[in-house]
Order: sequence, then structure tokens, then C-alpha cells
Amino acid sequence: MNIISLSETRTLWERWKFNAEKFPDRDAIIHWVAGEEPFRWTFKSLLETAEKFAYQLKKENVKPGEVCAIIIRHNRYFYPLYLAISSIGALPAVLAYPNPRLHPDKFRQGLSGMSQRSGLDWIFTERELEDIIRPFVESVESTIGNLFFPLEWDLEVEHVTKITAQIHASRASIESLDPVLLQHSSGTTGLQKPVVLSHKAILVHVQNLADIMKLSDEDKMINWLPLYHDMGLIAAFHMPLAFGIPSVQIDPFEWVLAPALFLESVSKERGTIAYLPNFAYNLMADKIHDEELEGFSLESLRMLINCSEPVRASSHERFVNKFEQYCFKAASLSAAYGLAETTFAVTQTEPGKAPTVLKVDRQKLAGGIVELTDDVSNIKKCVSSGKLLNGCEIKIVDDNRNLIPVENVGEIAIKSVSMFDGYRNYPEKTAAVVDEEGWYYSGDFGFVYDDELYVIGRKKDIIIVAGKNIYPEDIEDAIGKVDGVIPGRVIAFGEEDDELGTEQVSVVAETKIEDTAELKKLRIAIIRAGMGMDVNIHDVYLVPPRWLIKSSAGKPSRKANKGRIISGKDEKVWGEK
Amino acid sequence: MISDKFKSVICKELDLDPADIEVNDETKANEVPGWDSLNHVNVILAIEKEYNLRFKSLEVLKCKNIGDLQKLVDSKLG
Repeated sequence: MNIISLSETRTLWERWKFNAEKFPDRDAIIHWVAGEEPFRWTFKSLLETAEKFAYQLKKENVKPGEVCAIIIRHNRYFYPLYLAISSIGALPAVLAYPNPRLHPDKFRQGLSGMSQRSGLDWIFTERELEDIIRPFVESVESTIGNLFFPLEWDLEVEHVTKITAQIHASRASIESLDPVLLQHSSGTTGLQKPVVLSHKAILVHVQNLADIMKLSDEDKMINWLPLYHDMGLIAAFHMPLAFGIPSVQIDPFEWVLAPALFLESVSKERGTIAYLPNFAYNLMADKIHDEELEGFSLESLRMLINCSEPVRASSHERFVNKFEQYCFKAASLSAAYGLAETTFAVTQTEPGKAPTVLKVDRQKLAGGIVELTDDVSNIKKCVSSGKLLNGCEIKIVDDNRNLIPVENVGEIAIKSVSMFDGYRNYPEKTAAVVDEEGWYYSGDFGFVYDDELYVIGRKKDIIIVAGKNIYPEDIEDAIGKVDGVIPGRVIAFGEEDDELGTEQVSVVAETKIEDTAELKKLRIAIIRAGMGMDVNIHDVYLVPPRWLIKSSAGKPSRKANKGRIISGKDEKVWGEK
Repeated sequence: MISDKFKSVICKELDLDPADIEVNDETKANEVPGWDSLNHVNVILAIEKEYNLRFKSLEVLKCKNIGDLQKLVDSKLG
């Protein structure tokens, strides 16, 4: 086994080219489609096709520094297109393909917000979205130059020397500190904050990540995570590409409908590393029939890394119980903590050893104190997210950003060599989260114990459903407009779902309606309003006027009302189904 | 044609009153309140349990709408 490291590399393109020359026939990306033979890009074929896309991009006059949004479903040509954009000094920005339930107006609204703040210059998409996107592109407020349909491009056209020369000139002028991509912090579409990263930031980060994971040339990444998410893009796409190891890319839409696909690809391809959000452990452990797993072996997996939601010990236990019989080793459990603002990872657990689980006094933890206990009636199991990567520092602070004693719970603040330079075009939001010494305040709550980080929740009211951050204010705005709901008298919050291993969205809304049949209709209308913004509202609680407790600012308090709903029976609460 | 039984299994799993929901052959899962990608597996498991049958992942992936899913059930019941 050879532990690998990046040699002196100036740009990502140089590194990819190096890999294509050194391992021309090695699999680079194995594009997985359910029920079909996977399509295999070698490093050589991937780069050759990227060259063809680069030619088309130059022909269309895409310039260095311009932001190219890619809104394309799972397609084998996504990868060379992405590489081509960055190879000519433009910035690929992968955006989520709209879920069919998302209302087209909501999608356009999100795109509009993103285009103004992120400064999108071009959109690369599929013909199917043309009718939805084109009116926006042609509107006054749009910053977008044009829409392209790259999957329809004829890549075999004869290349004109002049354009090829321009491509070479563009590449030669790219410096290590130049931007290479734009990714968005996780959040509601349109309100996601754009983060621009340089070649150097990516290369340094994946090197630090690879070091702590002891990445070797025998590794193979298996990924179903969407590439618009930092965990998918940086860890499961850029890292293997930079190190010349193969990655299997599975369609996230297919995976969630058929989770056995992930296990099938691990088994067939002998995958060694994968990243998953916590809910995926529950889904695969509880919802797949053994018949589907016949003949599968997970023996090759050496790191199954839990990241992007608080890690639940019970989810790991369920997974091991189910998959031990398929040769999954408990020592292959792993966890990490990462954010788009720090490129991706901040901490990672040690390979070959399951993450440490602390049995903490639940009551004391609620008061911010970490104390171990054996009292089974009062245990909260906290799972470690591991130790710091090289070049990262953390501190735990109170509400005033003052350092608090170790083994106390507070907000996690981070300094990292892979830190972003600020949200693009959002100086006020950058200033709110980064202080003058360069500490980034994450909004996540956690503690440090024996030099390992434990993440236990969020400072703000953000709801994390299956690894996706949802802002309650967006839901409240939408529900406040539903007929029958008293405007401004709505709260949304996350309720833990132990079975799913994630949170579900609950809504409490005030209404003057008293008739049961009408209340039932209102419940459906509220759920439909959530669907229009691609949010599944799991529980609806309808309450009479003036039921919601107000905060000191005069708005309904999420925390107080959540507590009131969860803690007891109030006859005035209508929560029938 | 969607049977009443089929519709009631789906509605029960999603905590819906069948009287409030219109479902026909062309209805897509994402048009039914509560039937999101996270709940999809639960709906499929509920159908399997009610009809005492098993689907393969690929069979379900090929279903484009609820009519296809009903046909899949019918074909398995023979």
C-alpha cells in the first residue's frame, strides 16, 4: 500500500493532467446507473473529453473568472464539462436540479437570488428546464449571459488552432491562488451563501484530509452524495480526482429510492471509503430486505464516514447489527465534521477504529456541562467527530465569543488554512461570522473531550433533515400565506425522529377555524405549501388565536412553543391526522 | 386503475384521509402530500406488507407514476 501525496502542483488541471499521463487507463470516475453497466471514465478519456468541452466553452466566449452554473441531472458528461470549465479559468458552480415538486416560481426565485449574490454568468443545463429558466435569463434583473445545453454539443467538431491556442494561453495564466470553483453553504435555495475557493485551497485541503485518512492508491471512493454539497464535491469528487484514485458516482435521486444501490456498488467495485449523512445509516439498516443483499460483501470498506448531521450512536449500532453478516467491520465506522466555509473537513476520526462514544449525563449536558455517567436512565451517547486536520484550530466559546473551560458545551469556532475568504458579495454576512483574528463562528454547538470534537446541535433554529439545512423562517413565511392561517402567527421547528435518524419538520399555526373537517383541509393545504418549496412538513399542529407564546421581540418563540407542543397535552392543540 | 385498497394503504402510511386526496394512474409520488424521497421507502414497505409481496429496487425505480406501481402490484398478484 502506498500512501500518496500531491507533488508540487499549481492548479487542479495540472494535477488531473499528471494523473492522466501517469495512470492513463486507470478508472477515474465510474458513473453508476441502476440496472445498467456502469460507464467508466479513465483518467485519459476523461481529460480528452474535457478538452473537447473546453474548446466549445472558448468558442462560446466563456472567460476566466466567470461563474458557470451547472444544473444537470446525473449524466456521464457532467464530469468532463466540470473539469473543462475550471481548466480555462472559469468557475464551475454546481446547483441542484429542481425536484419536480418544487414550484417553478420558487425555483426561478431561488435562481434569481443566487444569480444576484453569487454573480452567475452562464447557465449550463438541460433542454427540459429551458421554459422555466429562459424567462428569468431574459429578465431585467438577470446577470446571466446565456443558457447553454452542453449535452447537445457536437464534441467531434474539428478544432481551429486559434481557439486551441487561446485555451493554452488561459491555462498558462492561471495562478495557484486564482479561484477554481464556487460552492454554496448548505441552506435554502436562494439564501445559500456562495463560497469561492482557489486551486491552492482545494489542493491543500485534500492533502490534509488524505493525510489524516491515510489515503492510499488502493482506495476507491463510493459516492451517492449530490455534488452541489461540499461533502460530495470536495471529499467524494475532488479528493479522489486529485489523488488519482477512482470514484463511483451514484445518482442521489436513485439512491434514496433504492438505497441498496450503494451497497451493490461497494460490493461489486470493492469500495473502501464513503461519506454518508446520519439518516443514511438508518435507512440502509432498516429498510432493505436481505434478499436484495444476497451475495453482497462490504468487507472492502475501511472508512464509512458519518458527516453533515449530528452523529447518532444508535444509527451506527443499527448499521453494524444489520451489516456485520455482510462482512462490515465496526472498526470501519468513522465520523468527520466539516463546512463549506472551511472548504470541507475540520476534524476526522482515526482510520481503523470506530469513533469514541462518550456516555454523558444528559441533564448536565442540557445545562452545558460534560460529565460522564453510568446511570443508564440519564445517558446521552455522544459520538466523536475526531481530531483536527493539519492546519485547523478550534475553540469553544460562549454567546459573547469568550473562551469557555474544556468539557463545557459552546459554539464551535474554527481557524483553518482552508478557510474561505468570505461569502462572495455578502460582506455583511461574512462580518457576522468571522472576527478580526480570522476565527469563523460556525453556529454549531459542541465540546472537546480528550482532544476530540463532539458536535451535538445547532446554535440557531436551523432544521437538518437528511443532511439538508432548512431555515424555519422560510417555512413560516410560506405557511403564513396559506388561507386560514393567521399571518405571522406560525412557527416551524425540527423534531427528532429516532427511527429515521434525522429531524422532521413540524409546524404550529394559529387559525380561527374550529370545524374539524375544515381543520383537516387546512392541514393538507399547509403540507402542500411545504411541498411547493420542496419541504416535507411531517406534523401540523393547529392552535387557536393568541395561543403562541411570544418572545421578547414580539414574535412567536420557536423554542418556547416547541417545548409547549412536545411536553404536554393541550386540548386546544389540534394535531389530528 | 387505482384500487380503493391501494389508495387506502398509501393514505394510511402518509396519515392522509383518502377522501381528501385525489389519486389516479397519472399521479406522481411527489404530487401526494407527504410522499417525499425520505418517506418513499416507507410507502413501498407498507404496500409490500399489505399485499404480502416483495418488490425489487429496480422494479420500483422504473415506476414513473402511481399507476405503474399499481400495475406492478397487480402483476405480482398474478
